[in-house]
Formats: sequence, structure tokens, C-alpha cells
Amino acid sequence: MTKRDFSQMKALWDEFRRIKFGMVGLALLGMFAILVIIEPLIVPFPDAASRWRDMTYWVDNPRNAKPVWVNWFTSKDYAPSARIESDAFASEASGAGRMYAVEIPYKYHWVQAPTDITLRLGVTGNATYQVEFVRPDGLSVSYMKTSKSTGTRDVRISIAQNMAPQMFQFAQKIEDPAVMNSVTAATVNPLAILFGKAEKGSLLRGDKPLTGTYTVKVTALTADATASLDEVELIVAGGVQGILGTDNMKRDLWSGLIAGTKWALIIGLLTSFIAVVVGVIYGVTSGYYGGFVDSLMNRIYEVFSSVPLLPILIVMSAVFKPSIWIMISMMCIFFWVGPVRTVRSIALQIKESSYIEAARGLGASNRRILFRHMIPQLVPYAFASMALSVPGAIVYEASISLIGLGDATRVTWGQILQAAFSSGAVLQGIWWWVVPPGVAIAVMGMTFAFIGFAMDTILNPKLKTR
Amino acid sequence: MYWKYAVKRILYAFVMYAVIIFVFSGLFNAVAETVMRAQISEAIRGYAQALVQADRRLSGEQVQMMTEARRQELFDQYRLNQPVLSRVFARTFDTLQFKFGDSTIIRSSSGERDVWTIIAEAIPRTLLIFLTAVVLDIFLGIWLGLRKARKAGSVMDRATDIGTMVVFGLPAWWVGMMAIMTFAFVLPVFPSSGMHSAPPPPTSLGYLVDLLWHMTLPVLVLVILGFWGRAYLTRNIVLTTLQEDFIMSARARGLSERKILFGHTLRSAAPPIVTMSLLALLASVGGSLLFEGIFSWPGMGNLYWVAVSLNDVPVLMGDLAVSTGLYMMGLVILDLIYGFLDPRIKVSGKA
Repeated sequence: MTKRDFSQMKALWDEFRRIKFGMVGLALLGMFAILVIIEPLIVPFPDAASRWRDMTYWVDNPRNAKPVWVNWFTSKDYAPSARIESDAFASEASGAGRMYAVEIPYKYHWVQAPTDITLRLGVTGNATYQVEFVRPDGLSVSYMKTSKSTGTRDVRISIAQNMAPQMFQFAQKIEDPAVMNSVTAATVNPLAILFGKAEKGSLLRGDKPLTGTYTVKVTALTADATASLDEVELIVAGGVQGILGTDNMKRDLWSGLIAGTKWALIIGLLTSFIAVVVGVIYGVTSGYYGGFVDSLMNRIYEVFSSVPLLPILIVMSAVFKPSIWIMISMMCIFFWVGPVRTVRSIALQIKESSYIEAARGLGASNRRILFRHMIPQLVPYAFASMALSVPGAIVYEASISLIGLGDATRVTWGQILQAAFSSGAVLQGIWWWVVPPGVAIAVMGMTFAFIGFAMDTILNPKLKTR
Repeated sequence: MYWKYAVKRILYAFVMYAVIIFVFSGLFNAVAETVMRAQISEAIRGYAQALVQADRRLSGEQVQMMTEARRQELFDQYRLNQPVLSRVFARTFDTLQFKFGDSTIIRSSSGERDVWTIIAEAIPRTLLIFLTAVVLDIFLGIWLGLRKARKAGSVMDRATDIGTMVVFGLPAWWVGMMAIMTFAFVLPVFPSSGMHSAPPPPTSLGYLVDLLWHMTLPVLVLVILGFWGRAYLTRNIVLTTLQEDFIMSARARGLSERKILFGHTLRSAAPPIVTMSLLALLASVGGSLLFEGIFSWPGMGNLYWVAVSLNDVPVLMGDLAVSTGLYMMGLVILDLIYGFLDPRIKVSGKA
């Protein structure tokens, strides 16, 4: 970079600084960059990007849970997700094995019961457990289980999956027999019973919550000295979880959205950078040489610019089954035409200016004139053009993904929307799955539109309105 | 020499169309052939079964010979035993003559398999919704653009500029999803998808009302997203023109601001505004692929989506050829109108 280029850039920056929305755009871009950098610190599931489609990674999450802040707007609060680990266990020798007793308190002060509660027990060897849920009103429900294994493994006891019959029996003791005859253990909501007031008439509906501290008592008896209970964790899969809730595959949407930010930036910036660099060089060359070269280059340009972009990108994706990098290359193949026409007309003007003639008179080569004297003049325009083609690239990627032809191994906003659309989130009203990725695309688009339009205002002084 | 320019432009467009179709044909060749081979082996299997059923005395060898002959016949018919390049050329010529053949899965509403019939059915539906939207937003956009240009720098101008930037990177199909979620489910005012109610109303008036009711939501979304950009461009074009010397001289002569705007400025700003509006019309011809899909509007875009997901290559190729053709035809018409409005174009068109 020569001194002249530098002072030119400084002048450009001085002008840019005065445009408010341009600075807002830059600030937003900075915010996105920071989000990408601190991604591992702000997401609850740091491996979301690499294990997005790995069902086992998400197993403890609730399905279709709303965002936690939904509770601020409703009087019927949903129980949020929680994990309570207990490491303080008492154990004593009992017969050949050991006897463990663990108590985990769970404070419950919401209206809508969680979707499931799972007790995860990390065990080695053979053991028998008894799990007892003691309610604040003193009533309790218990469950027995024996596990046999040679190595260490997780035993999961879930209320929704394992304890429905026990909850049903519990309800039978309280509720009217007439009511109980109309339902079966398979049709009642076991969690509503566990967290409901022990009153006739409301227990099954779950609209009168019993708040207070629930205690989960786990007693385990191992079969021999080699067996042991190593970990006990209470996993509450709530009705609400995280900043943006979960989808129907139990994935945490906030983690996915942040993981997608990186890809949106990569797709947008890389595509627009390559496309604009190619387009500017193409346009300048075409304008500078003129004559036969110009008309040939114009013809090629016209072929590319008269192809309907989205359909052809979709066909190419269907044929090549692209990775995200191939998709970026495909977009570059068509995006470079964007700046060509304007650049060519600017180049035609610059070409006639006296300093180019002087350079030529001094014996500068064509290449030198193009790259040293003409292209630097176009840098501000190239920046504007780049900024304005970023949103397009992001939207095209999202569109191809929505049709189901994108790179399914990455978590992009388009992929999240595709999953939402194809599983009917729009029709089921699961707004927390559909709204955030779209808003993210819109805000990202807005960011670059702000920057690009600000550049545009600088480049067209006639449009200035003071 | 307007006609000479026109003829040249049209001929040139044909050549370019042929080149593009050739490239498409090459691209489709790979997909088309796998589908076709699968269809042929299916047909051969059926044929062999029929042979055995018809005459039980046929030996295994005879059946094999006859099916092999049949296979060759079908390969000949679909040119599968010719070199790749000649197949691509043949496909190009067929497509250029709009011989798209029969679809593999998709049927027209009357159950026909002719690709041309299927496409011809979809075109007017796409035009209906997109033309309505574009016409509305051209009016709205130019109206707002003129107001913005007259009060350039005002709060209204700046606020609407921000609006333009906000919708700039907004995917229309996502806004469509939002609209469906809001107006079809939360506040059920409009139908969520399709063009007609399940049994369409019997009377023609009822039919029309039903159609309008189904159109409202998609058209509304398109207009709301569309007119901002158009207003911004109109404003810039008009504002640039307002700084020309002849406007200053008109002002110096004491003409009213209104007269300057409508009499002088608009006259010279017309060609770019017309171009811009027509380009918007053109871009809408192929239908917005995903947008139609989201609203299940049975136009060209939706057809394309369905054809992609069902791997129906003839329909895909036909749809692409027709929408590209319409698009390029529009570009030619645009150039011709532009050349007519602005005589300088013809001169620079030669360079």
C-alpha cells in the first residue's frame, strides 16, 4: 500500500464516519464478529456445531421447549430445565455389597410441570435401586429397578417413560374412582400428577400445582464389593429451556443459531469478496482494452447475467450434492457479474483521463496501468459492492438449504429453517424455531445493507442531502 | 436505424438462449440419464414378465434375446447408446423446439403427462400473483420515491431509507412463513396455502372472491417487501436528475416546483425508472421459487420445487427453459423500449 492509497482510505473513512447508519452497520458487524469469537463461552452446548445431528448429544433436553423468557409474559409459568448433581452420598457396608443413600432436593415453584424428569445413575456392576419422590405434602411415589452390567454405565430412570404406572396408582388413591376409570396409565400425564395438589377433581388436569421442595431419595444396594454407585444426577427437562428453546429433535436452538453465525459470515464475506474481486478486474480489463476484447468479454458477461440465478443454483446443487465450499464456489460463478457493468463504465471514464495517458507515455505496461492506476480508484466502489452482495449470498445459501439441497453437515441458519419447515413448525406455531434464524438473516442482511448504502452515499455525491 | 438495432438485438438473444440451453442440457444430462436408465430397466422387467405370461413355451434364452432386443430399441429411442456430446446436442435441440417430452411423475390438473401442458398451466398462476404484486409496488414505490426526492433529507426520507435497508437482506419466503404463522394460525383471517378452497365455490363470483382471498396474503407480503427498494431507486434517479443544469435553468425561469418535478425531471428520469420497473416485472416471471412453495401456490416456482424434490427431470428442464426464455424475452423487450426512449443507447449499443 502506497502512501497515496493510504491517505485515500483515510479520507474515505473520515467521510464514512459521519454517516450514522453506516456506523450502526459497522457496530453490528463488530457484534457478530464478537459473537463468533466468544461462541464457546456463551452457548450451553459447545459441541452443537459438530454434533448437531447426533441424537445422543441432545438426549436429556426436552422436545419443543419454549424459550425461558416466555415465563415473563405468562402467569402460568413453565418449569425450566435444570440439572442437579449430587456428590455427597453416604454409603455403608451391607452384606456382600454396599448400601448407598442419596437425597436430592428440587425446589418447584412453577405452574406447568416439566415435560420429564430423569434420574441418571452412574453405576459399576450389579445393583438394585429404589427411587422415592417425596412431595412437599409428605406423600411419595417410589420405583424399584435392578441393573446388571459388568462395566460402568448410566442407568436412566425417567418419570415419563418408566414411572407412569406408579403415578397412576398414586392418583388412584386420591382421585375419584369414576374419573380414574375413564383414563389409563398410558393416557395420564405422570408429571402433572407428581406436581399436582392432592385434591379431587384437579389432580389429573395438573392445573393446581403443588409448590415447595421435592426430595428425590435414591437408595442403592450393590450386589458385591466390586460394584458401586458413582454419580447421581437429576435432570429436569422443562417446558422452557435456554435463551431460544429447543426444537423437535431436542436441540438447543440458541447454540445452533450462534454456530450458524460463523457460517453466515463465511458464506457472505467469502462469496462477495471473490465475486467482487473477479468482477472488478473483469470490468476494468474489458473497459480498458476496448475493441474486440471488450465485445467478447461483454458477450460472456451477458450469458452469465441472463441466467435465472436461484433455479440454476438449485439444479447445480441437486447434481453436485455440494459441500459448503462448493456451494460458495457455485455462487461465485454467478455473483461476479454484479459489479461488472458499473466498473466497466467507470473504467471507460478513467481510461480517458490525462494521468493514464501520461503513464502510458512514460512507457508503463498495460498491467501496471490496470493494477497500479485504475483498480485503486475502484476500491471504494468495490467495498460498497461487496457489502451489498453479502446478504444475497446468505439468502441464497438459506434458500438452497430450505429446499433440502444444502450442506447437511453444517449448522447454518438455512439448515435450521429447513428442519423447522419440513417438520411443520410453521403450521404447529413453534415460533421460537422459525423466528430467530430468520431474524438473524435479516439482521445480518441489514448490517451489510447499512454499510453498503453508506458507501453508496459517499460514492454518489449527487445524492447527498446534508 | 431503430429496426436494425432491434433485429440485431433479437437475433443475438436467440444465440445466447441457445448457448444457455446447451449448458443446461449438459448439466441435466447426468441427472436425466440415471433416471432414464432406471425407467428403462423397470420397463424391461415388465416386458420380460409379460413375455413369459403370454407364451409359456418360450425358453429362457429366447426371453433373454427378446428383452435384450427391446432394451436396445429403448436405448436407441432415448439415444442412450450414442456418445455423451451428441446426446447433449440432441437434448438442446429438443429443448429449443420446446419438445420437453413426458413427465416422469408430475401430472397436470387434468392428469396429462405432457410437460408443456403442465407448464402452460402454471404460467398464468404465477403471473397472476406476481404481476399484481409488482404493479402495486411499482405504483407505491414511485409515489413514495417522488415524495422522498422532493423532501430529500427530511425525517420522512431518512426513515424510509432505513426501511429500505432493513428489508434489503430479508428473504421473502421467511416473511411468508411469518405471515402464515400470524395470519393463518394465530389470527385465522387468511387461508394458509393454495389457490382455492378445497371444493371451490360453485358460482363464478364466489370463485373470484375465493381466489382474491387466497391471493391476499402472498401479494401483501410481496408488496410490503418490494416497494422500499423501488422507492429508494426512484428517489436517487430523480434526485440525480434534479441536479442537472436544465433543472436549474427551469428553476431560474421561475417555474413551479411541481411543474419542474412532473414536467422536466420525470421526463428525463423516465427511462431508468421504466427499466427498473420492467426489470422487477421480469424478475417475477419465473416466480419466486421458494415463495410459491411456502404458500403452496401452484405456479412455476412451486412446480420447480416439486420437480426438484421428485427428481422429475423433464419437468425441471422444461420449467427452467421456459422461465429462462421468458426472462430473456423480457430483457430484449426492455432493451428495445429503452432504445426507443433514449436514442443514445443505440449508438453505444454498437460499441
